[in-house]
Parts: sequence; C-alpha cells; structure tokens
Amino acid sequence: MALKVLTVDDSKTIRMIVKKAFNPYDCELFEAENGVEGLALAGREKPDLIVLDITMPVMTGTEMLEKLKADPLLRNIPVIMLTAESGKDNVMQIVKMGVKDYMVKPFKGDQLIERVQKIYKLEEKTDAKEEIDTSNLYFTSDGGCKILTLPQKITRPVSSDIEGHMGNQVKEMVDGGQKKFILDLRKVTEINISLIKLVLHVVHTCQKSNVTVRSVGTTALRDGLKEFSETSDLIVDDSIDAAKSAF
Amino acid sequence: MADINSLDFKTFLANATNDIFDTMLSMKIEVFDVSSNAISEKDRIVGSVGFAGEVIGCMNIHVGYTFAKTIAGAMLGEEPTNIEEEGVLDVVGELSNMIGGDVKSRLCDAGLMCSLSIPTTTSGSDFTIETQGWFRHERLAIRSDQHVAIIEVYVKFNNSN
Repeated sequence: MALKVLTVDDSKTIRMIVKKAFNPYDCELFEAENGVEGLALAGREKPDLIVLDITMPVMTGTEMLEKLKADPLLRNIPVIMLTAESGKDNVMQIVKMGVKDYMVKPFKGDQLIERVQKIYKLEEKTDAKEEIDTSNLYFTSDGGCKILTLPQKITRPVSSDIEGHMGNQVKEMVDGGQKKFILDLRKVTEINISLIKLVLHVVHTCQKSNVTVRSVGTTALRDGLKEFSETSDLIVDDSIDAAKSAF
Repeated sequence: MADINSLDFKTFLANATNDIFDTMLSMKIEVFDVSSNAISEKDRIVGSVGFAGEVIGCMNIHVGYTFAKTIAGAMLGEEPTNIEEEGVLDVVGELSNMIGGDVKSRLCDAGLMCSLSIPTTTSGSDFTIETQGWFRHERLAIRSDQHVAIIEVYVKFNNSN
C-alpha cells in the first residue's frame, strides 16, 4: 500500500522538491501551505509521515506539532521537521518537541529520502507497475460496439484511469470505422460525484468524435442518475442487447 | 552576549550562499565585494527576511529576473522557460529564507536571540531599496556565469528591549 506523506510548507518550491524526492517511490503525497491546513489534512488523511516546515504564516510548524502531539489520533505520526535555522537552540527545541528527525535547509531530495528510510522501507515504483495497461480491465469490443464496463464503485483513481484511456479508445474506434459506444453501468452500486463526472466525460468524449453512446444499467441506477441534473437525460437501457438494437 | 562588531557577516553570507547553490542548485558561484546594490538587469526581484529580538535587522537578495529564472530552473529541476513568474518569486523567497535563516542562526549562537520573519519578495524595474540607521551593514555579490546577484544584511541592537 502506498505510503501517505503530508508536506506542510508555505513555499511551493519546497513542496515541489519534496514531491520530486518521493516520486520514484510508491507514495501518495498530500500538500498543505500552513499549519491550519496541515492539521486539517492530517486529520482527514491520517498520513504515515509528515514533512513539516517551521516558519509559516497562519500557523507555524511548531504550533502545528504541538497540536498534533495533543491529539491522540495523530500524535504517533512520525514528523520530519524542515528548518532554515541550524542554530543550537533551534535544533535543541526541535528535538525536545518529539520529532522523529529534522533537516536543515539547504537539503537534497536524496537526503530527505535517507531520513525517511530510517523510519519506513520505501518501495520503489516498478516499471511494470507504471506501465500496466489497465484499459483491458474496462474496455471490450463486441459486435461493432465498444463497451466500457464500470466497476462496482467509482473512486477518483478509477475515474482518472478510465478518463486517461477514453481518448485513445474512442480514437481507435473512429479509426476502425466504429461509431457505437455502450457504457455498461450494471455493476455500479453507488452513485457518487466521481461516477457522475466520469459519465459526463464519457458522453462528451464520444460526442466530440461523433460516436453514439448508450448506457446500460439497473432500474435503481437509472432512477438514481435521473436525480442529478447532469445525468437526468441519460438514456439507460436494461441490457447490452437492448442498447445494441437501439442504435 | 556577543558584540555585533565581532560577527563576520560577510563570511556567514558567503558560506550560506555557497552551500545553497552547491547543495540545491548544483551551481558554482564566485563571491566578491561590491559597493552598491545596483545590478545591471532592469527587471529584478528582491527577496527579504527580517530578524527581530535582541537584535533587529534584515537580509535582502537582489537578483535580476533572468538569473532568478535560471536559479528557479536549477532548484526545481525544470527548464527555466517552463517556470512561471509565481514560481520564480517563490524560489527567490525560499533563497532569502535559507540565507536569512543561516544568519539568524549565527546571531542566536552568538547569544543575540531573535526570530526570523517569513520571506517577502518585491519585483519590478523601477524601484530602489535604501536603508539607514543600521549598526552593521554588510554586502557582497555572487557571480555565476555572466549573472550577478547582491546579498546584503543590516543589523542593529533593539533598543526597546
């Protein structure tokens, strides 16, 4: 499972450097610009690690750390402090605050990773992992139709993955003379904002390439989609065969 | 408590700047003395941080826009042309935070306790920065290729303490 890392720094530059440092590893990065945002994100995402700057507007890193340590749900999250101040008193204060480690700027991304690896074993993203073609998980072709079968629950990563394939899939269809697209929603059990956005994306992508799209789903799903203005006009057939014959 | 006169601010500035350029930018710089904070490029950015406590003061870095873009590109590992103005300003702000943070640490280590402000940046082509009434004022310049930036520090005792 990806390591969740929260970077709290008012400098976009430092946040980008931290993000790049973690890029080769299987990590999910979250960013906040100050202690208030950092605390809110920490509470919501329960990160495995926090990389925390000290000097920030609104709420400093020191103040945020005090609040983290006072929260039973967050106090055990390891914190690596980043500071531009290497003075003895500053370093002593940081150590006393109970941080796992600290780094004095300037620093290299590699140095940060070395510190993190003392706390966690970072898994490198494998090439295979990066290059897996997930399109065949969702897209199939059947009798001159391209069928997109959505899974039970549409999360943001799933919707991003499918959206990433849509352009190529529709282009392949058009290049091959296909003009019929079926969106199979029968497995979907939960209507959420990611699903609505994905349905709209699919419809718009098909419309832009003059591909006719029909959808298939359960009665409950059809009724649910009608409650959203964005999908209220979507025609939902009962079966793939019904959709095919309706083209 | 140390005497401000005994502190070698130029060496603090030079060491901190060399360390930053070497560690985060992989750029070699040459440090030299300079008599004013004027730089040749018209469009420029000034990054500043302040110190406040037993001593008060500020540290400014004056950098031409072209050099600032080069620095930003090196720090972010991007082509300078791909970096927007906001990113360039942020990098100059972070640069002043790191140099100023080092000077602040040297002041505190010398017993002159003070806090560091968050960095600010000023950019434009028609402005001057003049300061008066400081007990110590030190300035140096750095050069990398044909680009020059000027770094200044101003410090005085805080008489209100």
